[in-house]
Amino acid sequence: MEAILEGISLSLSVNALLGIIVGVVLGQVLGSIPGLTAAMAVALLVPFSFYFDPWVGIPMMLAMFKGSLFGSSIPAILLRTPGTPAAAATVIDGYPLAKEGKGGKALRTVLFASVFGDAFSDICLILGSGALAAIAIRFGPSEYVILVLFALISLVSLNRGSSWRGIVAILAGVLIGCIGLDPISGTARLTFGNAELFDGVGLIPMLIGFLAISEVFTQLEQPLKTLSQRAIEFSKRPEDNKLSREERRELLPTLLRSSMIGTVTGALPGLGSTVAAFIAYNEARRTAKRPEEFGKGSLHGIAAPEAANNAVSGANLIPLLAFGIPGDVAAALILGALLIQGITPGPLAFRDNPEPIYAIFSAMLLANLVNYLVGIAYIPLAKRLVSVSKRLLFPAVLVFASAGAYAMRGSLFDVQMMFVFGLIGWLMSKFKFPTVLLLIGFILAPILERSARQTLILIDSSDGLLAFVQSRPVLMILLGVLAVLAVLVIRQQISMRRFTDQDDDGVMGPG
Amino acid sequence: MTKIRFAVLILASCALFGCDNANEGSTDAKYPSRPITIVVPYAPGGGGDTFTRAIAIQAQEILGTKVLVENRMGGGATIGVGSVARAKPDGYTLGFVSSSPVVVVPNFFEVPYDASTDLTYLSRFVVSPYPVLVRGDSSYDSFDELLAYARENPGRLRWSTAGINGAPHIATEAALKQEGVEAAFVPMQGSTEVLAGLLGGTIDMGVMSDYAGPLAAGDVRLLAEIGPEPIEGFPDIPTYREMGYPLAPTIFFGMAGPAGLPDDVIQTWETTIKTITESESFQEVTVRLNGNVTYLDHEAFEALVLSDIESTKKALQTLGILEK
Repeated sequence: MEAILEGISLSLSVNALLGIIVGVVLGQVLGSIPGLTAAMAVALLVPFSFYFDPWVGIPMMLAMFKGSLFGSSIPAILLRTPGTPAAAATVIDGYPLAKEGKGGKALRTVLFASVFGDAFSDICLILGSGALAAIAIRFGPSEYVILVLFALISLVSLNRGSSWRGIVAILAGVLIGCIGLDPISGTARLTFGNAELFDGVGLIPMLIGFLAISEVFTQLEQPLKTLSQRAIEFSKRPEDNKLSREERRELLPTLLRSSMIGTVTGALPGLGSTVAAFIAYNEARRTAKRPEEFGKGSLHGIAAPEAANNAVSGANLIPLLAFGIPGDVAAALILGALLIQGITPGPLAFRDNPEPIYAIFSAMLLANLVNYLVGIAYIPLAKRLVSVSKRLLFPAVLVFASAGAYAMRGSLFDVQMMFVFGLIGWLMSKFKFPTVLLLIGFILAPILERSARQTLILIDSSDGLLAFVQSRPVLMILLGVLAVLAVLVIRQQISMRRFTDQDDDGVMGPG
Repeated sequence: MTKIRFAVLILASCALFGCDNANEGSTDAKYPSRPITIVVPYAPGGGGDTFTRAIAIQAQEILGTKVLVENRMGGGATIGVGSVARAKPDGYTLGFVSSSPVVVVPNFFEVPYDASTDLTYLSRFVVSPYPVLVRGDSSYDSFDELLAYARENPGRLRWSTAGINGAPHIATEAALKQEGVEAAFVPMQGSTEVLAGLLGGTIDMGVMSDYAGPLAAGDVRLLAEIGPEPIEGFPDIPTYREMGYPLAPTIFFGMAGPAGLPDDVIQTWETTIKTITESESFQEVTVRLNGNVTYLDHEAFEALVLSDIESTKKALQTLGILEK
């Protein structure tokens, strides 16, 4: 108890509070610039943690991550340009809603969902990190295979009617995901001898090209006289700029489900917030009362990926605090800062030196609150920033998108890739291919391939398939759940095919 | 409004990229007269990045000029190293180097530099132990016991290491081959995945460097060290050299520049790095990151790298891992 109070007092000092506020503001602003991910921004902070009191630096880093996740959704909604990959799924419903003039409502939904997801996973981290980590550590390659299959099956369940375009889009994404070094043998694949492609196509240049640059191309096609119009209009009606109590209540089941998805994904190292956001989006749509609204500005479609990607940020610390295993880059950076300060995360930290852990917990909760308050102030500012004519806004988008693609690793090649994908994205939406499915294929395929091939090696080194499955209890449970889900989805498909017209646009429209 | 937005963005990007033109001086003045960039070929936050940033901060004070760190990751660290090799040899673009991209990777891929001729090796500052680990509750108490199990059960011992075809991977393959052991290598990316795989029971043996936390907690135990020197504090843990394996690579961290650096640049950095490695704060950081401070000057470092390149190539060929 004493340790808890001491920890809380560490994070409540004036300096720590200041660190949190500065972190949130920086995070929201940097997050809303495409290409500048939270991880990059925080990496730049690491050297300062040599100088700073750790109880300024570490809360500041935590706050920055939280701020940037919200910040990155602002351009996703208003400009179709996710500030970081985690906000890619938010584009699907956020941008259409903003086009209706309800950008204010969309941003309020994001803020509410973000803070909800954050708080949910922080509480899970505080109350159950030990238990959650003990389960999460049991997830190996074979379990990851099943998880990706879950995601793919729930994707199929969204697909009403025949959609060869959807299949083409997913396979194209998978193919692009194959570029780079083979994950098992380490030989170069589809790189055409270019060392820049050894690590595969960068997610950030691809996302920016696919979403932002393709939108710039689409705008180029518009008649000249529309140029002086504003790119985006905001409705003046108050109900279009806020989230009513009834709407919040209605979102609650989606928020809870998505936060759980995010927390579980975050506790498993290596999956990340982008994956969580897409899985949560699919789940929200699968279980929606009015799935037909998805892709056209559904509040559930905005809230689900936002709650999930924020929930990842807290849950990422679960394997870190339990075993010293960082769940993603963000957690790795925090691990680095902690090590430099002489704190080694892991079970021993709770026993020998628990104050810093409790200080981290209370700093996280505090950062949520600050994130909400700063967000409320930032929304009207962001709305005014984009309220300019198209001929000013879209060139600016082009410039910042290029800078963002370049900044990732200081590579002009990435800028070229961004334009290539901009062109592909534009052509795809012209010919009504669902671009979002390509993204999902691109993100999931490498995880599936690597895990599946690792699993084959594992099976090969056991006494046969059956013995392998028996040796992994979590795998047995997951296989059971997968079978049930598959049956449900097939029945749903059959009944939909019987009662609804065929919808050739397939999943999520040209999105 | 646009003005404000632009101002905010420009300010933010200045802060981020550290664009500070005030220090830009004339080039013929005494070195260093303008900001120096150190390229780190790895992602921010890793060991190499943290060491370089620790060095940059102190070098900035010693040299009286800005020392910027730029992460240029990709291509198994070869893109960043390549950009250093191609830079103008004026001492204003230098880079962090470690064993793998210099000694090992060029044997497997065409890389955009020749490690033995295109780089000036300024100084080595840290050597990192790279042990063979098993789970804390593992039934194997020594490396010999582990090998005995693997020999009796061919193809059953599952193991992994942080980088495919990196020095630790190749050295361990060579060791297992010499012992006549057939093991199942499960390819993984980064020490995070290896540690998770080890603790979760996916693999039985891991070869990785970021082990301090789990070791202190008793989650893992050390069985061997892949390098030539015993790990500090663990004199009884055998090394690959003691056991007579073909490769016992030293995992070194150092600083390099393009070939043809002027002598005054080389001397400036030799003394700067020497001073830094002797400082208490750098030694503290090194201990926390599980390294050993072992300074080598330009001449000794370059000789070491060149002989490592030779011996690795030869070993790979005799082992049949590499043709030619």
